[in-house]
Amino acid sequence: MAVIGIPQTQIHRLSQSKYVDSIRWLPSVSPLQQSAIVAFFDTDADSPSLEVHSLDQESKTLDLISSWVPPSRISSLKCTQAFAVASTISGSLHVFSATEAQDPSSAFRSVVAADGKGFHVGRIAGVDLMDGGSNECVSVGEDGRVNLVRVLDGSYRKVFDGNGLVSYTAVKWASPTEFVTGGCGFGLQWWDLRRPGSAVAQFKGNLEKGRTSGIIHSIDVHPSRKHTCLAGGSAGTVFAWDLRYQHQPIILSGTSNDTAAQPLSESEVWEVQYDSYTKSSMNNFSSSKLLPAMFCSEDGILGVIDQGEEPTELLAEPCAINSFDIDRQNPSEVICSLEWESIAIVSRP
Amino acid sequence: MPGLAPGDSAGGVPDSVNGTLVPYSSDSHVSAIYPLRHGLNPPISRVSVSWGRGNSLRVSVFRQPDSDPKSDGEAGGKVVEVTLGKSRDGEISDAQWRKIAYGSVSPFALLQSRKNSTASLSRMQLSPSPYHLEWWEYVMEYSKDIGSLLGDPKTALATLIEDPNEVFPKKVEEPSSLKAAWELMEMFYVDKLSQAWLPERLVDWLADYNSLISIDLPTVHSKLVEFQNQIVTLQVIEDDPRYWDLISSALAVGWLEIVVKLLRLHGSYRLDQLGRRETENGLVEAVAVLISKMPRMRPAIDAGKIGECFKAKPDFVKAWERWRAQITKLDSSAFWIQCDHRQTREGLKNMLQIMLGNVDVLCSSTCHWMELYISHFLYIRPFTAGLESMYSLAQKCFRLKHTSNPHKLMRLMIGILGENNEVVLAECSRGFGTWMVAHAIELLTAGSNEADILVHEEREDLGGISLEELHRLVYAQLLSSHLLTWQIAPIYLTSCMRQGMGLLEILLLKQPVQENQMLLKNLEICRLYELDGISSHLMEISGMYHWKHGRKGCAVFWLQQAHDEVRLSGIASQLFDSVGKSISGESFKQWEGLIELLGSEGQLAGGLDFLHKYRDFKKCLQHAESRKDADAARQAVESLMSLMRNASTPQRFWLPILYDAVKLLSWDEGPLINVGQTNLLLNKLQELSVARLRPDFVEAELPTQALNHVRYSLATNLGRAILGEL
Repeated sequence: MAVIGIPQTQIHRLSQSKYVDSIRWLPSVSPLQQSAIVAFFDTDADSPSLEVHSLDQESKTLDLISSWVPPSRISSLKCTQAFAVASTISGSLHVFSATEAQDPSSAFRSVVAADGKGFHVGRIAGVDLMDGGSNECVSVGEDGRVNLVRVLDGSYRKVFDGNGLVSYTAVKWASPTEFVTGGCGFGLQWWDLRRPGSAVAQFKGNLEKGRTSGIIHSIDVHPSRKHTCLAGGSAGTVFAWDLRYQHQPIILSGTSNDTAAQPLSESEVWEVQYDSYTKSSMNNFSSSKLLPAMFCSEDGILGVIDQGEEPTELLAEPCAINSFDIDRQNPSEVICSLEWESIAIVSRP
Repeated sequence: MPGLAPGDSAGGVPDSVNGTLVPYSSDSHVSAIYPLRHGLNPPISRVSVSWGRGNSLRVSVFRQPDSDPKSDGEAGGKVVEVTLGKSRDGEISDAQWRKIAYGSVSPFALLQSRKNSTASLSRMQLSPSPYHLEWWEYVMEYSKDIGSLLGDPKTALATLIEDPNEVFPKKVEEPSSLKAAWELMEMFYVDKLSQAWLPERLVDWLADYNSLISIDLPTVHSKLVEFQNQIVTLQVIEDDPRYWDLISSALAVGWLEIVVKLLRLHGSYRLDQLGRRETENGLVEAVAVLISKMPRMRPAIDAGKIGECFKAKPDFVKAWERWRAQITKLDSSAFWIQCDHRQTREGLKNMLQIMLGNVDVLCSSTCHWMELYISHFLYIRPFTAGLESMYSLAQKCFRLKHTSNPHKLMRLMIGILGENNEVVLAECSRGFGTWMVAHAIELLTAGSNEADILVHEEREDLGGISLEELHRLVYAQLLSSHLLTWQIAPIYLTSCMRQGMGLLEILLLKQPVQENQMLLKNLEICRLYELDGISSHLMEISGMYHWKHGRKGCAVFWLQQAHDEVRLSGIASQLFDSVGKSISGESFKQWEGLIELLGSEGQLAGGLDFLHKYRDFKKCLQHAESRKDADAARQAVESLMSLMRNASTPQRFWLPILYDAVKLLSWDEGPLINVGQTNLLLNKLQELSVARLRPDFVEAELPTQALNHVRYSLATNLGRAILGEL
C-alpha cells in the first residue's frame, strides 16, 4: 500500500579524504546549531586529529570550528551534556568542555588528561562518562585495567587490574555507582563501586551451544531500565543481558538458526545504541519488552532492531560503518563514520 | 637476444655492453636524502631497514641497551616509516585517487556479477528474456557510474548571461585528463547510440577538454583565456586583430555560443554608433544569425548551446544545403562594399570561408591538429563515419599540424582511431595508470570480439594468465600497498581466475594483526571468501602477539578461536610446572586465572580437569594455612582425596601433591585425614615407590628428603587417626 507524500529518509554522504576513527554529536549550545566531534586519522601525513565541525542544516556540509592534535590515534570517543572524552591507542585519556569546543573564539584543548604507566598500558579500548553521574570517567583497556578518572582534576584511581588475564573492549555506566564492561568471548561484567574488588555479576558469553564466540564491541544501558544492558559484537550479535535473569540472555540478532528473523548483518557489530526515535509497536508493549536498538556493522548496515519485529535497514553501504551516534536532542538525526574516509548523515522523517 | 652477455655478438645492441637487460639512465644515480624523525637521544647503537607497505621503508632505530636504570621512561628504540619517491602525477591527489578507488568498487563488482550471470545463462543456452538489456547497455551503466566519480567538467552556464564581459564560461572544476580519457573510451567502444553522431560527440568532447590536449603549444582555449583577461582594457574591440583571429578560431572548433557572444561585443552594437554603422552592424548580425542557425547532426543539444539539431540524415542534408546556400548568398552580397570598416569586413568574410569549409582558412584558424580535425567534421565532412575514414582524416590533420611531443590523450586518441587495441591498452596504462587500465578493459571489450580475445587470451609469457587478469592483479597490488585501500583489493583479486586467490591469501597473511579491530576486518574478508585456513592462521598470529605482550586473556581467546591445540597444550603444560611448587600472591593469581581462561573444552579436558582440581586444592590449602581455618582445611582434604582417587591425575604429580599435603597431615588441632584415607594415600605412595624403579620415571623437582618426609607424616597421621577413632 503505497502512501504518497511520505517524507523520505534523507542521506548525505560527505567525503573527508581522511580516515574517520570515531564520530559523536555534541550537545547543541543553541537550537540553531548542530555540531559534531570527529576523530580523524590522516594517512598521508600520518597524523591524527580531533576536530569539531558545525553542520549546516540546509546544505548538510561540515564546517570546521576547531581542531586539536592528540598524541596518537583516538580509540574511543564519548559525549555528555557537559563534556567530551577521548582516549587514545597509546593509553591516554583527554576530557574537553563540550560548550568550549563549539566556541570558535576559545582554544580547543583538553581540560584534563590522564596518562602514564600506572594508568593504562597500550590501547584504551573504551571510555564512558555519565550525565548527572559522579563526574567520573571510566576507562577500560586490553591490558585488563579498569580506571576511574575524576573529570574535575584528572586524578585517577584503579578499580581493577586484570593483569592481562582479561581484556576489556567496551564500557558503559548504568548508574552513578554501577557500570558494565565487555570483552572477549562475549563476556560481560557488572561492577558496583560500593562493592569493590571484583565484578558483582558476570556473564560468561555462553549465548548458545555451537556458536562461535566473539568480542563485545559496544554496550548501552537505558536510563529507564538500568538492570538490562544491550551489547553488540562479532558475528552480527546483538543481545540483552538482564541482571535479574542472568543466565538467559535475549538474543536480538545473530547468526543462529532458530531466530525467526533473518539477521541484517552477519559480521562485526561495531556499535549499539538504544534508539529513542523508533517507537516500539504498541500492541504488544510491555515492560519486559526491550526497547528498539540501532546498530552499525562491518558489512555496511545501519539498522534498527525491535524485539519481535522484522529489523529495519536505514543504510546499506558498500563499506563498513565503524561508528554512529544518535543526536539526543534531535533523535531523528544519525551521524555515521564510514570506512571509505567519509561521513554519512541520516535524517529520518 | 639483446644483452644477455656483454658483447656477445658483433652487431650487438648498445645496451648489451653493460650486460643489462633493461637500459637505465644514469639520472637514477642521484641520491635522495630523507630525514628521519625518530626523536631518540643518542647514542644510537643499531639501525635496521626493511620494506614496509607500498614504497615505504621501515627503519628501526635502537638505542644502546640501557645500562643506567635511572634513565627510565625513554624508549629503547623506535620504528619510523620513510616513504620513498613522489607518488603519481600531480593532477590527482592521493586522497582523490582513493576516493576514485572506493567509488569504483561497486560498479565494478556489479558488472562482474552481471557478467557471471549472463555467462551462466548462455551456458544453459537460455535465451535472455526480452526485458534483458543488451550487454553494452550494462557496460554503459558501469561507465556512467565510474565517469561520475572522475569529476564533472560541465561548464557553469550561468556566468554567460550574468557577466557580459565573461566570454568564456568558467569551469566548475578543472577537467581531468582521466575523465577525458574515460569519455573517449566510452564514446568509441560502448555507447552504441552515439555511433551515428560520433563527430558531434567529439566536438563536445573537445569543448570540454581543449585545455588539456596540448602540453606546450597554445590551443584555442588558452588563447581565449588570455584574450578574456585583456578584454576589459580594450576600447575598440573590433580594431584588434586578435579579436577576429579568436572569433575565427572559436568558430572553427564549433564553439558557436562563444562566437555569437563575441560578435555581439562588436562596437557597431553600441547605441551611440548604431546610426553611423548600420550596414556594418547588419552584416555582423547576419553572420551571428547564420551561425546560430547552423544545422547539427545530433539528437539534442545542451541548454545554452546553439545550432539546430537534426536526427535523420535526409533532414540534415536538406537543412545543410539550405544553410550553405544562405552563406554563399551573403558572401556575394552587395553590402560588403558599403562596409567601410576593414577589419570587420575581412573578419566576417573569413568566418564565412570557415563555414563554407575552406581548408586553408580552417588550418590557419586552428592551433592543434585535434582542433583542425574537429573543424573538418564541422565544416567539410559532416558525414564522416567509420573509424577507417576517421583515422585517415586524423592522419591528414596530424601531418598538417605536427607536434613532436603529443599529449597522452592524443596518443590514446590515435590508438583508438587506428583500431589498435594493444596500443590503446598500453596508452591507458602508460598515461593514466593502473586504475584506468584495470577498469577501462571493460569498455574496450564491450562491443568488440577482437578486443575480447586479445584481453582474455591466456598468455604463456605471462605465466598463463590473460591481459585482463594481469592488469587487475597489478591494480590490486597497488591497492594492497595502502593502509586504507587494501581492503578493496580482494574484490579485484577474486575476479582473477588463476592467481587471484593465491595472492589474496598472501595479502591477508601480510596484514598487521596487532589491533583487534584490524584483525576482525581481516577475518571478515576471510569469512566472505571462505578462507577458513587463513582465518585460523591470522588468529594464531594475533594470539601469539597478545601473549608476548602480556595480554594473556586475549591471547588464549584467539588461540581457542583458532582451535590451536598445540599452543594451548603448550600453555597448559607450562601450568603443570607449578604443581608442587610453592606459589603465592600475584603469581598464584596469574596461574589460577590462566587455568580459568583455558576453560574445560577440547582435547585438553583431561589435563585441565586435573589442573582445575589441583587449583581448588591449592586454593583451600592457602586459605587453611593463612587463616588457620579448619573448614578450609577439611575442604582441602576433600580436594586432596578426589585428586588422589581420580585416575586422570598424572602419576608424576602424586609426590608433589602429597608433599603439599604434609601441612594437612600435621594439622595442630587433631588429625584431618581418617584411617581409610591415610591408607589410600599410603597405597599410592607404595605404588609410586615401585614405579620409581622403572627407567622412564621422571623425578619431581623436590627436596631430596621429600619422600621420607611424606612417609613419616603419613605414618604419624595414621597413628593419630587410629588413636582418634578409638
